[in-house]
Amino acid sequence: MENRKVRNNIRKLRFLHNEMTQEQLAEAVGATRQTINAIESAKYAPSLELAFRIALVFEVPLEEVFSYTTEDEAK
Amino acid sequence: MSQQEKTITVSFMSHILILGYYLINLFQMMRNGELIATRLFGLWALVIVTIIIVNIIANILANIFLAILHAIKTQRAEEPPASEFIEDERDKLISLKGTRVSYITFSLGVLAAMLSFALGQPPLVMFSLLILSSILAEIFGDISQVIYYRRGF
Repeated sequence: MENRKVRNNIRKLRFLHNEMTQEQLAEAVGATRQTINAIESAKYAPSLELAFRIALVFEVPLEEVFSYTTEDEAK
Repeated sequence: MSQQEKTITVSFMSHILILGYYLINLFQMMRNGELIATRLFGLWALVIVTIIIVNIIANILANIFLAILHAIKTQRAEEPPASEFIEDERDKLISLKGTRVSYITFSLGVLAAMLSFALGQPPLVMFSLLILSSILAEIFGDISQVIYYRRGF
């Protein structure tokens, strides 16, 4: 089976949203800053609900924030 | 380090102290030939009550420590952001995984205690193993949670 992983563009999207901090995003979605940090560094795959809440904050579809790809596809 | 990690670290350190206190007392009893039911059960009660109290105090201490640290960092006596204190889905998941590790450890301890009794050891050995496994279960639960926080999953 291919080694797929939940990857994300949160860091880029935060930058594009007035350089939003992890703390601000955490407060907006009701999570801790450490959880946002873990998601960004792909150490934790969030629940579907949290993933939707993050996408709502950035006002983009879910697939623009998260992808389920192999390392080769991500490059 | 999040609020939860701080609480777990304080709880881990206090459990290590309780384990040390229990083992020192147990070995002293064994060396002095005082391993009798009333003294061992007295130690049992003391250790269990201490674990409960220490868990509550550890939580309070971690909260106070975080507030002080935040005040020092921001140079203001304002409350830390709410996101520092909430327990989100990741915290709950890690807590559940830690509880699972604790249960597995305690189950193995109970099995070892029953085996010791079945193999002809006196009941006091069985009870000693039971309380030892309950303290070790708490410690392994704390360690596993810290690992999950650090390494991710």
